[in-house]
Amino acid sequence: MTAVPTPGGTPAAPTPGSPIVTRPVRPRWRETLGLLARDPTAAIAAVVLLAIIVVAIFDTAFASQGPNEQDIANRLQSPSWSHPFGTDDLGRDILARVILGASVSLKVGFLSVGLALVVGTLVGLLAGFYGRWVDDVLMRIMDMLFAFPAVLLAIAILAIRGPGTSNTVIAIAVVYVPIFARVTRASVLGVREEVYVRASRSVGASDLRLLTRHVLPNAAPPIIVQTSISLAFAVLAEAALSFLGLGTQPPNPSWGLMLAEGNEFINRAWWLAFFPGIAIVVTVLCFNLLGDGLRDVLDPRQRTLMAGGGR
Amino acid sequence: MRISRTLALAAAGTLLLTACGGGDEVNTGSGGGGSGDNILVAAVSAQPDKFDPHTTSAYPSFQVLENVYDTLVVPNAEDLTMEPSLATDWTTSEDNLTWTFTLRDGVKFHDGSDFDSADVVYSYNRIIDEKLQNSYRFTNVTSIEAPDPQTVVLQLTKPTPNLLALIGAFKGMAILPENAAEDLDLNTEANGTGPFKLASTDANSTELTAFDDYWGGKPKIDGVEFRYITEPTAALTALKAGEVDWTDNVPPQDIESLQDDKEVDLQSTASVDYWYMSMNFDKPPFDDPKVRQAIATAIDRDAVTEAARFGAARPNETAIPEDSFFYYDYAPFEPDVDKAKQLLEEAGVTTPLTMGLMVTDAFPESVTAAQVIASELEPIGIDVKVETLDFATWLDREAKGQFDAFMLSWLGNIDPADFYEQQHITGGSSNYQGYSNPQVDKLLTQASTEVDQDKRKDLYDQAAKMIVDDVSYLYLYNPDVVQAWTPGLQGYQIRADRAINFESVELP
Amino acid sequence: MVLVGVSLIVFSLIHLVRGDPVRLALGTRYSQETYDALRHRNGLDLPLVQQYVTWVGRALTGDLGVSFRSGGTVTSLIGERLPATLTLAFAAVFLALLIAVPLGTVSALRPRSFIDRFATVISQIGISVPDFWLAIVLILVFAGTLGWLPTGGYVPLTEDPLGWLERLVLPAVATGVVSGSVLTRFVRSSVLEAMGSDHVRTAQAKGLPERQVFTWHVLRNALLPLVTVTGVQLAYLLSGVVVVEIVFSWPGLGQLALQAVRSRDYPVLQGAILLFALVFLVINLLVDLLYSRIDPRIRR
Repeated sequence: MTAVPTPGGTPAAPTPGSPIVTRPVRPRWRETLGLLARDPTAAIAAVVLLAIIVVAIFDTAFASQGPNEQDIANRLQSPSWSHPFGTDDLGRDILARVILGASVSLKVGFLSVGLALVVGTLVGLLAGFYGRWVDDVLMRIMDMLFAFPAVLLAIAILAIRGPGTSNTVIAIAVVYVPIFARVTRASVLGVREEVYVRASRSVGASDLRLLTRHVLPNAAPPIIVQTSISLAFAVLAEAALSFLGLGTQPPNPSWGLMLAEGNEFINRAWWLAFFPGIAIVVTVLCFNLLGDGLRDVLDPRQRTLMAGGGR
Repeated sequence: MRISRTLALAAAGTLLLTACGGGDEVNTGSGGGGSGDNILVAAVSAQPDKFDPHTTSAYPSFQVLENVYDTLVVPNAEDLTMEPSLATDWTTSEDNLTWTFTLRDGVKFHDGSDFDSADVVYSYNRIIDEKLQNSYRFTNVTSIEAPDPQTVVLQLTKPTPNLLALIGAFKGMAILPENAAEDLDLNTEANGTGPFKLASTDANSTELTAFDDYWGGKPKIDGVEFRYITEPTAALTALKAGEVDWTDNVPPQDIESLQDDKEVDLQSTASVDYWYMSMNFDKPPFDDPKVRQAIATAIDRDAVTEAARFGAARPNETAIPEDSFFYYDYAPFEPDVDKAKQLLEEAGVTTPLTMGLMVTDAFPESVTAAQVIASELEPIGIDVKVETLDFATWLDREAKGQFDAFMLSWLGNIDPADFYEQQHITGGSSNYQGYSNPQVDKLLTQASTEVDQDKRKDLYDQAAKMIVDDVSYLYLYNPDVVQAWTPGLQGYQIRADRAINFESVELP
Repeated sequence: MVLVGVSLIVFSLIHLVRGDPVRLALGTRYSQETYDALRHRNGLDLPLVQQYVTWVGRALTGDLGVSFRSGGTVTSLIGERLPATLTLAFAAVFLALLIAVPLGTVSALRPRSFIDRFATVISQIGISVPDFWLAIVLILVFAGTLGWLPTGGYVPLTEDPLGWLERLVLPAVATGVVSGSVLTRFVRSSVLEAMGSDHVRTAQAKGLPERQVFTWHVLRNALLPLVTVTGVQLAYLLSGVVVVEIVFSWPGLGQLALQAVRSRDYPVLQGAILLFALVFLVINLLVDLLYSRIDPRIRR
């Protein structure tokens, strides 16, 4: 496991036969970024994502009409100069709503994955590092959560807590906690018995020091990659839940909700469902491409859970 | 895409074959039926939950049961007045406390057994004894007797002018054969007297076959297949493609384009349903009539109707639709922002005032309407938070009074008592808003036993005026029933109570 | 052990959910007496612990109880939905493999070639598309505009083979494309990895013919992990692609479970989730076994 490309290996593709390095390596951030920049797809994805984030932050600056401003007289207008993405069934500007939807989707994505990352990594770290009964108990609990169909688990949580954006964050986070726990645990298991960890332990380093100074940094790469991929799936999950009417509440737009509304008008006005769909695809694609780039650089052995069972 | 192209060709092949077989009926779905082409395929939006008419409350079930079971009396297709069905005749005693029904002769159940008064007594007693949900309809009934096989006598505690509507409004009051609950699994099996027999049902469709010995004459079609198509878009596409012959899953926004469509026959009529909004009388400031009136004045019903139903509804400030005998022409609220603001001021409310408006995704049109209402209340300083809930949660919060305001509809109302009584009488079983007006209570109680129709209407008019003025319910509109079918389909009649009856339908 | 945990979680989750199945079943007009009678009939007036113990006891004998909503047994309801779910899941996996194996292999054999880049882009997009959006677009194009295929629904194969196939195509494509994209990426990387492995290099060094090396060493090594990932995909598809099923009116288990959530039909939901968890665990067990064979470092 290394952040350094093997000699002769190309950073963009998984390197055939990367040797297992047994010396401690901390992720070298500058190097990682540099390598990433050399992978054009990942770099473009990162730039596009940055642009989406900027648009999402300064949402109102990019729209001529408020996203919730209704104008029944001009409903279901096809795309034009004044409404580049057309208008919906209440005459609202779809471009403005797609932009506002970006902030909803990204907020849900980052918060839910962030939450899952913190909890999941902690669980995985403890399970992997201490092993035995700690591992057994924690991972059995994770297995139980993991054994639930993701969408149904999220639906059940939303049914308990009521629909809404913040509860969507919790629901998606719960679904992703076991994934992060598994990835972290697997990664920690790989690191735990490395020579440098044993060495530190033999000289009497405390568990906390071992975990924070040696285990976590070396186990981090797959977790970072998993984060990027999970962001992609979190955006998809938010869309699915909002499509079912459980996520973001109207009149606030979320892409999934807009898809659901647009689906009712698909015969008459394709643009209602088309543009939010494209927005989802582009955002998710960027997270995935970025994740791929990171994976190639950080985790050539591909220990991350592909698709994570979350789809 | 090679696969789908090949399939499309294969599909075109069957289409041609069917076309040669006779008629233009393209029916790729009913291939397994074996009874040929004379099967009507109806696209409905959901699967029936069960087929026991006495225990289901689901509309998809009643769409099927309407064609399988009969009631003693039945609402007329034109104006929903009660007309004979299994009972041919009825008389009331001088004191209006005894109703005597004469039953139709020669009626057979689907299993071939004869229908008689014992079946009526059994069915009604089942509802009463097992406390099934329609038992409330027999509140005034003390006994059900069968002096002879052709006669049923109901004894009442007080005059009940709407007794016919109570026992005949819908197939929830269906007559089952004696001991049906013991002989059959009524959830999945049926043995009625209606024009069609329940043949099979699964997660995809329910199939009915024509009943040869139906007392009204054998239906002209051989059967009906109810196919569940959730998405309205898909249902319409299926109708246009000839996969189905009939659907009621027509989104209002498509009405305009369908009216000029030669591939589809579309009809709509005003329904006896109404949509309303109500506020929590236990939660200040909504306990103040001025606040409620301000909201009623700020809302533009025409705009709400146009937005939510694309005009396929009639705005109404009372509950009962215009076509009904009991219609009461009263519309005190004109949309007026200034007046609404003034009313709020008079009530001493500080704005902005936040109001949660609870709607359910079970009825998407209410989600749209709520957004329009939110935008209309914004100028008068009310910040509406739309809460879209699933129906179970919605009902739970309604029952527990955990709401500022909610929006819902009442469906299939036949008699004015259905429209007003339990919703507005103090402590009424449907009075979740907590309205209490002694005068209204008195009027509604009086009306419930008034046998003179004109006097009865007058009492309900007076009650309705107060209900509207106090904004117990903020009435919005009566939606249209919209249904579409394949051109050339004959003998089908669209009904204001949304009953779906295929008894006299002929396929092209 | 996990199953007991799952059943306990399901049971407590369900009773935390707001909403009352009895109220929902009765509709809007009924009396308190009626309400109490139905609650009693469904056993909802008993203490929760007793309800759970009764349910577990019955479940152990294969009796999953009776649906509040339809009055039918849960096993029969699930049985009714199983064919549609199995059909769609296997069709989607079949389609996914049909896409993934050739595309992934070819792009791994010619890394950085045009076909590799093409496959990468396509599979990336495939993963990023919400399956239900793809479903909507497919319906719009192939059922609406072109009118080649039905919009949805399901017919048993035995009843109408052509209708079965026609109705299967679009849902299978909508779900298969997504799974196929996941698998394509996986095939590509595992073939690459296999090609880099020592024994393949040895075989190449021995001068064995390219074709023989490929079929005997590369494919065989790449196949094992593929089987496990396919298993995961299958488990996911079997637990119901809820939203796609709704869009296509496909009467599968996902729809049943969602409906059970909405109508608070506790027995059906418990039964369905128990089944999903069981499927998941069995497949997961196989995956774990295979994984530890591939990567001894993960062996515990």
